[in-house]
Amino acid sequence: MTPSILAANLGLSFAALAALCLSLNRHHAEVFDRKAERAAVLRLRAFGWAAIAASLVVAGIGEGWAFGPVQWIGALTGAALGLVLLLSYRPRYVAPAALVALGVAAVPLSLAALAVSP
Amino acid sequence: MKGSFRQSMAWLHTWSGLIVGWVLFAIFVTGTASYYRPDITRWMRPELTRAEPMDAPALGAAAERAVAYLQEHAPQARSWFIALPQPDKPVLDLFWRTRPGEPPRQAMLDPRTGAEAAVRGTRGGDFLYRFHFELHMPPLWGRWIVGICAMIMLVALISGIVTHKRIFADFFTFRRDKAPRRSWLDAHNVTGVLALPFHLMITYTGIMTLALMYMPWGVTTAYRGDNQAFFAEAGLVTTPRPPANRPAALTPVGPIVERALATMPETLERLSVVNPGDANATVVAVFEEPHGLSHQHPQIAFDGVSGETLEILGGGLKPAAKTFTVMTGLHEAHFAGTALRLLFFLCGLMGCAMVATGIVLWSLARLPKANERAFFGLRLVQALNIGSIAGLPAAVAVFFLANRLLPADLAGRAEWEIDAFFGAWIVAALVPLVRPQRRAWCEGLAAVSLLCLAVVAADILTIPGHPLRLTGGGDPLFAWFDAAMLLLAGLFALAARKVLRYEAPRKESQRERSARPEPAASPVSPTRAPVRQTEPTHA
Repeated sequence: MTPSILAANLGLSFAALAALCLSLNRHHAEVFDRKAERAAVLRLRAFGWAAIAASLVVAGIGEGWAFGPVQWIGALTGAALGLVLLLSYRPRYVAPAALVALGVAAVPLSLAALAVSP
Repeated sequence: MKGSFRQSMAWLHTWSGLIVGWVLFAIFVTGTASYYRPDITRWMRPELTRAEPMDAPALGAAAERAVAYLQEHAPQARSWFIALPQPDKPVLDLFWRTRPGEPPRQAMLDPRTGAEAAVRGTRGGDFLYRFHFELHMPPLWGRWIVGICAMIMLVALISGIVTHKRIFADFFTFRRDKAPRRSWLDAHNVTGVLALPFHLMITYTGIMTLALMYMPWGVTTAYRGDNQAFFAEAGLVTTPRPPANRPAALTPVGPIVERALATMPETLERLSVVNPGDANATVVAVFEEPHGLSHQHPQIAFDGVSGETLEILGGGLKPAAKTFTVMTGLHEAHFAGTALRLLFFLCGLMGCAMVATGIVLWSLARLPKANERAFFGLRLVQALNIGSIAGLPAAVAVFFLANRLLPADLAGRAEWEIDAFFGAWIVAALVPLVRPQRRAWCEGLAAVSLLCLAVVAADILTIPGHPLRLTGGGDPLFAWFDAAMLLLAGLFALAARKVLRYEAPRKESQRERSARPEPAASPVSPTRAPVRQTEPTHA
């Protein structure tokens, strides 16, 4: 159980769910005060689902395929709760927070990639 | 219960949720707390300080002291259970039952002297843990009631999913500044949907852990009701040996402990001695589970007279048994480290919140009009809501408080703590019956907050080794526990303040009220959204 893998899972989950959330008109309007363009919606959705899938792969490789899925779902739930609270109390912070989360996820992942590559 | 499939599911969700809601809330709260059961137990036994792990000869000698004590105090018992000292719990914890039907007896010994350890009498976190699936009733009754509630919970979950029309469009929606029913419904949906994998898992695996009790017919038919034979064949326990009814001296357990430790890499958790003093006595060494999802303790059975190894159980289960142990493992989450455990705990709290918001919604959907009196059922539900949602946390806080404030040498101290728990709960459940509803909510929530603060104060005042009193020393457990209590106190104070300051957004609530049909004509489910403008979504 390495905390860095969990951090990567939480970061990826938060960024993914934020993207999916911003692809919905109501939340997009709450955060950006305008309607989402169709192309942006598609990009956000594609990123969101891809990041959720990436989170599963990270958890599976990092924690093994027994614990990985458990941690994947746990991280998704925890990130979703944080996102909903942020969206409800500070909607303007959602987009920057998602970028920060992505950055948080990138650090352990790039470190792991460096460790693997010769 | 007519109309579309979704409407009948809404009806099912409303009523199945209501009838078991209060019990489910108690199950969820105590179950969530049970993720920290060892820590709570350790906090409630502050006399025990962490110790270095013991080596094999010392553990063997400690086990011999335990057997000597049991031979003197429980020679007639059919089985003895000896929990061996661990770094977190450096005592011998003995447990025996002389005859079926008699309450079990318990003793704690100092592993180095064999004398009774000076530890305050308490059930610790085990009380909350057992309450979670037995409700402090006779085990058979409690487990059946909890099992039925869990099955109805599963019904409520599935029917809730069917009822939730906009499960994807409203996935992230929590409108906390709208009319009360809107906000409560959003809170109910969000806590339910976001943690849905957890809710489904925990409910299903919860039923599975006791499935054999709820559905015994397979074992009744194939094994003539002999559960032990079934468990042994599944590889979950070592083969039981009936007594020979011939006396024989028990072999020294010290060498058995040393041999057990040499066989398995895991920590040796406990010994069970079955039929001590009989020619067919068996000593089973039970180890901690190896790291993995599966909840299965490796075990070694020894002949209690000759000392020879009879059977070694460690992994290698068949798929069905493995599925069962993984389900139990997922439910108990022993495998979870600090961070993952916190996520499980968070999911548990979301479960508590889901149940709490659900039962509140029932009463919100049935509020009387301005010139009507609340009907009796509504008054009762409202009072029971307060009695459980504020009453149970208050009772748990009183349980902790009693642990710190009752004299350490009080006779039957462990029972007094439990009496304090139920006493507080009964008071907290009765007071709302005679108070106006808003006041009762406010008072109940504020009382929980104060009680949590009192627990922290009592902890700091009565524990000489508290980290706040020894700068730079002391067990950090106490600081963590108190921090959690302060957090709870803050949350409940916030909730009390919200109730006190709350003013309904008039217009919206009136619009909703007029949009609601008569309850007598067709019971409106709180899960059905009131009339509102539709918003275009892509989902």
